[in-house]
Amino acid sequence: MLSRNVAAVCRQRTRACLHAPSRSLTSVAADAPAASSSTSPTASAPNVVLNAAVILNRSPILTRTPTLFERAYYAYQSRIRRAIFNPFPTEFYFKTGSLLERKFAREERLREREAFGGPWSLKRRKPAAATMDEDGVPLASGDQADNMGEEPVEPPAPRIHESDKTGDVKSLDRKGERNLYLLVRGKDHTGKQVWRFPQGALQEGEQLHKAALRDLEAECGINMDAWVVGKKPIAVHQPSLPESTKKTLGGELYTFFLKAHILAGQVRPDGKNVTDFAWLTKEEIEPRVEKDYWASVEGILSDF
Amino acid sequence: MSAQAAARAPRLATAAGRSVRRTKPAPTLKPLPRDEKGVPIPHVNVIVRDTHRSRLADHYFHTLQDDMMYMTYVHEPTARQPPRPARLAYNPKDPYTKHRFNPPLGGNRWPKQPPPPSAPDNIIQLERIQIHAMIKTATASRVNLLGPIMALRAISGANEGAGGQHTAEGIELVKGRKNLQGWVRPGIPVGVKVDLRGPQMYDFLSVLVEFVLPRLREFQGIVMEGPSNRLDKMSSASGVVSFGLPPAALGLFPQIEVNFDAYPATFGMHIHCMTNAKGVGAQNRARALLSGFQIPFARS
Repeated sequence: MLSRNVAAVCRQRTRACLHAPSRSLTSVAADAPAASSSTSPTASAPNVVLNAAVILNRSPILTRTPTLFERAYYAYQSRIRRAIFNPFPTEFYFKTGSLLERKFAREERLREREAFGGPWSLKRRKPAAATMDEDGVPLASGDQADNMGEEPVEPPAPRIHESDKTGDVKSLDRKGERNLYLLVRGKDHTGKQVWRFPQGALQEGEQLHKAALRDLEAECGINMDAWVVGKKPIAVHQPSLPESTKKTLGGELYTFFLKAHILAGQVRPDGKNVTDFAWLTKEEIEPRVEKDYWASVEGILSDF
Repeated sequence: MSAQAAARAPRLATAAGRSVRRTKPAPTLKPLPRDEKGVPIPHVNVIVRDTHRSRLADHYFHTLQDDMMYMTYVHEPTARQPPRPARLAYNPKDPYTKHRFNPPLGGNRWPKQPPPPSAPDNIIQLERIQIHAMIKTATASRVNLLGPIMALRAISGANEGAGGQHTAEGIELVKGRKNLQGWVRPGIPVGVKVDLRGPQMYDFLSVLVEFVLPRLREFQGIVMEGPSNRLDKMSSASGVVSFGLPPAALGLFPQIEVNFDAYPATFGMHIHCMTNAKGVGAQNRARALLSGFQIPFARS
């Protein structure tokens, strides 16, 4: 496959992606008391603030457009298949001499011609071309008699949505071939307005995946059906904070990312914490977020 | 000189554009041998590869593979301990116990093995789907197998040696192995089966999920065992999910639906979805994968 997904990235740097973060997660727990004792030896509780962030994904809704090479390859293989395969058992599927059989034979001749060409010329060149779309699938013709009394087939929806033309980044229908991720504009730990993934703080004794879902609802509204994949975080981000911020926050800040899929609905930001949102592809996310944040999440976003 | 040129000219004219060596005429091409129908036989083995992008394969590689990696990940920060021996054994290296007999361990031990450590190389993947139908009336007359063979060919699109691929086995006959009085004898054909891999497998799965299962009456989902089911049984540890379709499901396949009357009898079938998962609890991982392809599962 030509696809580059997270698994492929992990395969290239197995230790970096799967084992090293896991080791760093364990070291988080081990280092936390030590770090707290060094900064404020009198404090009994470990000085760590945990956040749960959700990487909300809209998976592709269209198959990827094949490249020019792939299209040529598939056309070539289809021609070979058409040339060497067993003849179609017409008498098994159609009554001999029936209208349906004649229609099938006519369409089959067109498909043969489409595949191999021919020196002969068809009388109605234009309509013949119009009955096939670019993949060789016969389209419905408007002639009712030609369709044996059946209703004409509705043409498929275009692969490019309205929102792609208007540049509407809030639509869930944009870029159907790509993985989209939800980015919201809200305050980060310093109170600055930034683009980030929806996140929130963990409550006392709360599990990470439950906190992630709760924080997603708090920031993006309840008009959305989301499913969190697994209970384990897939990435961690630790901003380098100055001592003063650490004191106001109450310790080191760790943001754990969990993957989720949107199943239905749409984001409705509350307007207080979150002012804006966008469904973006990987390369559209990079210019919006900060550099160290991008370095933490880059490997877990899909290239396609 | 002119006589030589005149003698050479016609030969050059015939061989023009065909031979790069001027001193030698181009070799005469032998016509291709032809088969009994008069169709030329090419002198290479023509093999048909993929003719289209597989939608479900794309779905697996773009979405499902990552999700399965996250869902099946087991955190093992340190290397695994070697498995504990089932019982004490005499050490063959110790000169005192060197020749003592160590009786071999009995029984099947492979279902008790833990799954391999989580790695991006062994993410669970669908390997093949086997469709299998036992035809009871085939013991009386093997002609009764012709309808099921035709139906499975229509459903699966598989054919022996299809596309010039010698691994394409097509529809196979299943023969009896045991002697059961009044029912089965060794060697008589009792059923048909077909193995699907690659794009064909994904096409079958999408037809099953989009056309057959939603229209099946009183179908709540594939029933799973309860929580008390042990995870180290052979069926739970081999990464195979099997289920059956009733005879009514045959008419719901669109390939059969178009000329349902052409088939003499309907029959039910077993479908085995085989994955590369192994070890304790592999079936549950296989179910998670299949539910990613939208096959419904129900608790019993």
